[in-house]
Amino acid sequence: MKNGISAGPASRRLGRRAALKGSAALAGAALGSGAMGGFPTIWAQNIKNVTLRQFGTGVSSLNPIAEKVKQDLGFTLQMTALDSDAVTQRAVTQPKSYDIADIEYWICRKVFPAGVMQAMDTKKIKLVDKIVPIFLNGKLTPASTIAQGTAPHTVGFVEGKDSVKFAMARTEWMTMIPTIYNADTLGIRPDLVGRPITNWKDIMDPKFKGKTSILNIPSIGIMDAAMICESMGVIKYGDKGNMTKAEIDKTISVLTEAKKAGQFRAFWKTFDESVNLMTSGEVIIQSMWSPAVTAVRSKGVPCVYQPLAEGYRAWGGGLGIAKHLTGLQLDAAYEYINWYLSGWVGAFLNRQGYYSAVLETAKAHMSEDEWGYWMEGKPAKGDIKNPEGKVMEKAGAVRDGGSFADRMGKVSCWNAVMDEDRYMVQKWNQFIAA
Amino acid sequence: MLHPLIAPDPAYVLLPKQGNSVSVGSVAQEAPAAAPRVAARRAGVAAWAPYLQVTPLTALFLLFLAVPIVTIVVVSFWDYDTVRVIPDMLLTNYRELLESPVTWRTYGNTLRYATMVWALTLAIGFAVAYFLAFHVQSVTWQMALFLLCTIPFWTSNIIRMISWIPFLGRNGLLNTTLIDLGVIREPLEFLLFSDFAVVLAYVHLYALFMVVPIFNSMMRIDRSLIEAARDAGASGSQIVRHVVLPLCKPGIAIGSIFVVTLVMGDFVTVRLMSGGQSASVGLMMANAMSLLQYPAAAANAVVLLLVVLAMVAGMLRIVDIRREL
Amino acid sequence: MHTATRRSRSFYPLAVFFGLFVVFLYGPMSTIIILSFQGPDGGLTFPMNGMSLHWFRNLFETQAVGDFGGAFQRSLALGLIVMVVTVAVSFMAGLAFRHRFRGASVVFYLAVASLIVPSILISLGIGLMFNILGWQPAWYSSGLGAHLSWTLPFGLLIMFAVFNRFDRAYEEAARDLGATPWQTIRHVVLPILAPSLVGVGLFGFTLSYDEFARSLMTAGSFNTLPLEIYGMTTNVTTPVLYALGTVTTVFSFAVIAMAIIAVQVIRHRRARRGSDAGRAV
Repeated sequence: MKNGISAGPASRRLGRRAALKGSAALAGAALGSGAMGGFPTIWAQNIKNVTLRQFGTGVSSLNPIAEKVKQDLGFTLQMTALDSDAVTQRAVTQPKSYDIADIEYWICRKVFPAGVMQAMDTKKIKLVDKIVPIFLNGKLTPASTIAQGTAPHTVGFVEGKDSVKFAMARTEWMTMIPTIYNADTLGIRPDLVGRPITNWKDIMDPKFKGKTSILNIPSIGIMDAAMICESMGVIKYGDKGNMTKAEIDKTISVLTEAKKAGQFRAFWKTFDESVNLMTSGEVIIQSMWSPAVTAVRSKGVPCVYQPLAEGYRAWGGGLGIAKHLTGLQLDAAYEYINWYLSGWVGAFLNRQGYYSAVLETAKAHMSEDEWGYWMEGKPAKGDIKNPEGKVMEKAGAVRDGGSFADRMGKVSCWNAVMDEDRYMVQKWNQFIAA
Repeated sequence: MLHPLIAPDPAYVLLPKQGNSVSVGSVAQEAPAAAPRVAARRAGVAAWAPYLQVTPLTALFLLFLAVPIVTIVVVSFWDYDTVRVIPDMLLTNYRELLESPVTWRTYGNTLRYATMVWALTLAIGFAVAYFLAFHVQSVTWQMALFLLCTIPFWTSNIIRMISWIPFLGRNGLLNTTLIDLGVIREPLEFLLFSDFAVVLAYVHLYALFMVVPIFNSMMRIDRSLIEAARDAGASGSQIVRHVVLPLCKPGIAIGSIFVVTLVMGDFVTVRLMSGGQSASVGLMMANAMSLLQYPAAAANAVVLLLVVLAMVAGMLRIVDIRREL
Repeated sequence: MHTATRRSRSFYPLAVFFGLFVVFLYGPMSTIIILSFQGPDGGLTFPMNGMSLHWFRNLFETQAVGDFGGAFQRSLALGLIVMVVTVAVSFMAGLAFRHRFRGASVVFYLAVASLIVPSILISLGIGLMFNILGWQPAWYSSGLGAHLSWTLPFGLLIMFAVFNRFDRAYEEAARDLGATPWQTIRHVVLPILAPSLVGVGLFGFTLSYDEFARSLMTAGSFNTLPLEIYGMTTNVTTPVLYALGTVTTVFSFAVIAMAIIAVQVIRHRRARRGSDAGRAV
């Protein structure tokens, strides 16, 4: 931070004096929390020495973001990536080992009540009102219905500053700000499936015996299974994201039967596994993330992210602040979060096939063609490149699944932690052992 | 660092005469008899020495093992619900665990893996150690060959695991080679994501754990014993059966402890190599932990600990490795 | 007796068996090495997508996720510390276990238990302990402890195999010649066991360098190399991981070959000068 910070939308550069003014504007809240001790000048001078440690999965712990933070905000952001299980464990049991936690919303239902994170004051988050409404009230548009499962807004707010009780509606205390989110569906190898794929149940077609896969994270795998079972018409769920014991039993028995019949080749757990299964031809139809489909395609292997009649299974991740952060570090964390929503990151993530929290600012950082291709479902006018500058799609390509509204508007359920998760894990173990 | 490795074993250089002078059979008989004698002689000098020598080990174990184990035992009696773990004193976790047929099936499956892997690594480990100890004469070569076996382990296990897919997979190196050679017409599907793959990966990972202790035991076998047996007209296989095998029992026991405990506690290999389709005790725990259900995982860990400790105690009843020191 | 040169009939089949064992160990390495030469669009599996050195260059550039360099430094340092501590501590404990002492069984079964307790739970336990005591978890504190809880049982048990029927005649001879216990260990026991101790050290290093589950909750804020690679697999699907494997292997071979050549040269010189070749240490 040689002579300013860029904290606002687009690249609104602030001089030091403006920065001080800006922080003075936040003074009420900041002083109230005792964070700054009334010496904003110290904050301005010392922020370069601040180091924030962020950890999360490799999906969003991206080095280019840390580099840009150094450039724009002046302080150091250290990224550590792990898989989603380890992230959960560390978040809860090692609260001193990180300053910013990047976790998924469904597991937030368990992590936040552990008291390892602090609620964020929405008054300090400048763009809070611009965040995609899914994360504020669960509805993409005022007319949408709220999807099943652990919808992000149900764990997005707590009742008070020190509360760990999730609020039923929006409050001033936010648990996390969304980083990335997306809708998952079946990925297919169009060259090998040899038939149109239109429903989740198609994965159970005996024709694909030994060539299918679903997720092997119990709480997400069972959601895949639920989408399949519902599509097959064998189970009618009250709420797929919060099954009853009977529903769990039935789902697992359908899965077990298929497993015994050799329907599945393998179950995947990490991003790379799903990509490897698909590129190597071990599997030709499986539940998949959109960027994983892109990754397969970038290796010259045809792969399609297939929209299905029943809709998508969605997931989202967010950034939360560790409980132990105070003073200068806490201010830096708020700076970072405001910067995160201010557009550059949003564009960066959108270009990888994910969706970001504040669309308006992200749009300002993307070309019209990029925005059209990634977000509006329009045919690309020129080559579409990934953030490293590699051509992902040639001119004329249209994104699978269409526009943002098409995808996120057809979310059937969110990844979830169920009330019966204790029972669910036991049944999942039974399924694996079968 | 490599100096002492590659130097000829000083045991033979320093005191060759004494080594030779030990008569056949006396080593094995002498050991138990000698222990109390030596202990008695030393008693006055340094009875406290063993305590001092074992202190660092004990201290490290107390801090980094005993404390965590106690924690696990305590937590195994706690309760939990969807959002939190609740301190309590319940047997529910154990009841749920032990009453479930899934648990028994999973333990059975894990034991099955352990037995298969143990038998295979033992056979491989014995042959490899025998070759290194008795057929490779120079210490330089012994160490070189040892290092040759170690180098693959310096490439992260995770990378090596990932590489099994392109090796064993449907369109993998092995299948394509076999098809090109005309041995098979359709790719062999059982090579990957199967019990075969799991056992193969275990053997691959753990064979060296069997080789090292057996090799060390074999190196301690007085060569004059073998000479004597040969002079007495014993055939090669008789020497192996009646001289080498009994004398490296401790090494075999130690290697067996390594392999069995490693397989029993594993959760990564089985998941990756079976494609998530086979269960293991470790995997059961990992699944519970992924949803922060620590009490369930802890109860399972306690049961596993007891089961494997019993297995090890059983092995030690057959071969008491401590008496042979 | 050590000079028995006549090769028995079992030599050749066993040599072939050993050869096959090595081939087996290197089997997956072969895919790693071949696939690390993938073209810029290549993936982690066959088929090959062109041939290039792209991923070797890429290995030394900043990755989108993770940091090979920093993680490698941490793992190397940790492995070396673990190596030294493991050798020293298990050697001393091995000495102790040659005598009867009170609590020997407890210590022994603690060692066995350390092998058995599932690594993920030990890791969690140590992590929680540090958290409760308010200590900062880091690779050199909690991570070191976790790794030692893993390498020490191996070290100790291999020490058992090493001391297995260790001929006390050497020590007695030394003592009869008036050596103090320390001198006996320093000049008699240590030189005799040196190759085995180096073996234990090597084993300890390898275990630590490749340790994964016990590091998960104990590495603190920054990852060791296996954790970093694991973290990267949640996003990276390029052969850069294989390039790392290939470089590691080639580098290891080079170091070991150089060491062997150096030792041979030194020994050759010493032999010519007629020095005490036996005390090459």
